[in-house]
Amino acid sequence: MFKKILIANRGEIAVRIARACRELGIQTVAVYSEADKNALHVQAADEALPIDSYLNADVLIRAALASQADAMHPGYGFLSENASFAAAVESAKLTFIGPSADSIRAMGDKAESKRRMKAAGVPTVPGWEGLEAEEDFARAAKEIGYPVLVKAAAGGGGKGMRVVEEEADLAEAVQGSRREALHAFGDDRLLIEKYIPEAHHIEFQVFGDKHGHLVHLFERECSVQRRHQKIIEETPSPLLTPELRAQMGAAALQAARAVQYYNAGTIEFIFDPISSTFYFLEMNTRLQVEHPITELTTGLDLVQWQIRIAAGERFPYSQDQLSQRGHAIECRIYAEDPANGFLPSTGKLLQFIEPRGPGIRVDSGFRAGDVVTHFYDPMLAKLIVHAEHRDAAIQKMQTALREFIVHGVVTNIDFMQAVLSRPDFANGKVSTKWVEDKFNWSPPAEPSFESLVAAALTDLTIANRTSEIVNEHDPFSPWKIPSGFRN
Amino acid sequence: MKITFDNATIELTPTGKSYRATVGDQTVDVEILRTGDGRLELLIDGKRLIAYVSSENAKRWVTVNGRTYLLVKQSGARKSGGGHHQAAGELTAPMPGQVRAVNVSEGEAVTKGQTLLVLEAMKMEIRIQSPMDGVVKSLAVHQGQTVEREQILIEIVDRLES
Repeated sequence: MFKKILIANRGEIAVRIARACRELGIQTVAVYSEADKNALHVQAADEALPIDSYLNADVLIRAALASQADAMHPGYGFLSENASFAAAVESAKLTFIGPSADSIRAMGDKAESKRRMKAAGVPTVPGWEGLEAEEDFARAAKEIGYPVLVKAAAGGGGKGMRVVEEEADLAEAVQGSRREALHAFGDDRLLIEKYIPEAHHIEFQVFGDKHGHLVHLFERECSVQRRHQKIIEETPSPLLTPELRAQMGAAALQAARAVQYYNAGTIEFIFDPISSTFYFLEMNTRLQVEHPITELTTGLDLVQWQIRIAAGERFPYSQDQLSQRGHAIECRIYAEDPANGFLPSTGKLLQFIEPRGPGIRVDSGFRAGDVVTHFYDPMLAKLIVHAEHRDAAIQKMQTALREFIVHGVVTNIDFMQAVLSRPDFANGKVSTKWVEDKFNWSPPAEPSFESLVAAALTDLTIANRTSEIVNEHDPFSPWKIPSGFRN
Repeated sequence: MKITFDNATIELTPTGKSYRATVGDQTVDVEILRTGDGRLELLIDGKRLIAYVSSENAKRWVTVNGRTYLLVKQSGARKSGGGHHQAAGELTAPMPGQVRAVNVSEGEAVTKGQTLLVLEAMKMEIRIQSPMDGVVKSLAVHQGQTVEREQILIEIVDRLES
């Protein structure tokens, strides 16, 4: 087993990894940028070294060597899916806690991974690329079946993207997309693929050791998204039957096996609820933000197992020994303003009170008094609940959200309460475009009566306290209120 | 005592053991059971309520019944709804961030919709575009500078004014 691990990350995930290391009796080294020097993840580690950037591979490797660490955990984001980084870590005689550089490389390129998945027999979204003539598009569309999606090959952000319902509209859509693509990207190459109107995002956690043993740890439904980013995840998915789960799990293992995968990885699928079909979207070759819901329902500590597998241990459970117990939901608490285009919100955390109780877990990177800056992703914490079944988990999450107090930055807490209370959520009808297309929410226009009372009383007591505090007989009394209130 | 938050004015009158609180035509009796560390335990018409309140200059962050409100206390001098003054062509940062690019200089003629500056914050790029045809009267920021929300970035004026 490793003696010391350098955690090449920040925020809640660095705190999470440090805890797993401590539980395993492994020393930890944190790294921090100037903006993070007082951050929680620095305190969570045994040692800490300053770096210029979490993206500077050379500096991170040098820090690991200087602190005599023998392994590197990349967390998620930053360099976690960078094959050259993984290779560089290994050539510095350190262990990269993750898959091989080759697996990362194979899954890193979208076109390449799609080709490999097709070859391995994993279902991918039916489509064509490299078409030129309009009659070729028409032929492709007919073969795929309408509705189809025409989009820029170079694209992103919905530019040059057209949904075509029937053949009569295809020619015009192709011309329009091409024009837009050329204008936006200077590249008019187009893709055509099957359009899935109510697409859900369902992913499978896979886990493999370095001795060829590979299992899946079931699915996560991650369809509640804003700006193409997940905000609420749950497991099990309300859409999967045991048969579908088995089929998708098998496909996930096929996909992972095709790139000789080991350690933790996630196969993302697009799921069409109308036809109950699924297609490979991409593989994330790292630990996922939403891994805690899998931990709660399988009872496994994924971060500890990542470390143990990287150290060469065998994963001891067969697929048959693994099962899902109860229902888990995660809400990502972001410092952002849902009423204002989800713009990030920055500031000092005046209050930060995490909910507690049976079945409630909070993975957080912040404390009260910390400053949320604009330098990094605005996720403050992950609120995760586990209950006997889905309805109970939703109720538990709603209660926990109400008890999560964050002042000083605007958060999406009230927004997520509203999402969870909608019948569409209860009925599993939330597709990946639901927040954008179907969810109308705005915060209350008027402050509530009670909020005005509380604010006014606070102003009054603060104003009184400064002048009257000297009259207090017992300064430690829990009933320390200004004498003016007693009479 | 009267306090105005946003557009709502609340009046608190001591009644011995408790307070009478009035907003518009609604009046309740409020008793403070306990306060401290930004937390208040209240009895409002005999019903228990826990509120969390944080103050930051004129801002009041209040959480009651699982909902968070951001109130702004209005100072006595200013009538509510006054807002803050902003010249028509004065562009402010919609969010805190860093100035990624400055595409114009003072005195330069600009057209409506032209990207004047690019801000970056938390992986997002925000283009600050000219609201009208005109001239850059003043440029208040430079590339690489960190700006706060509402900070003035640039002022555009009509050609005739310049």
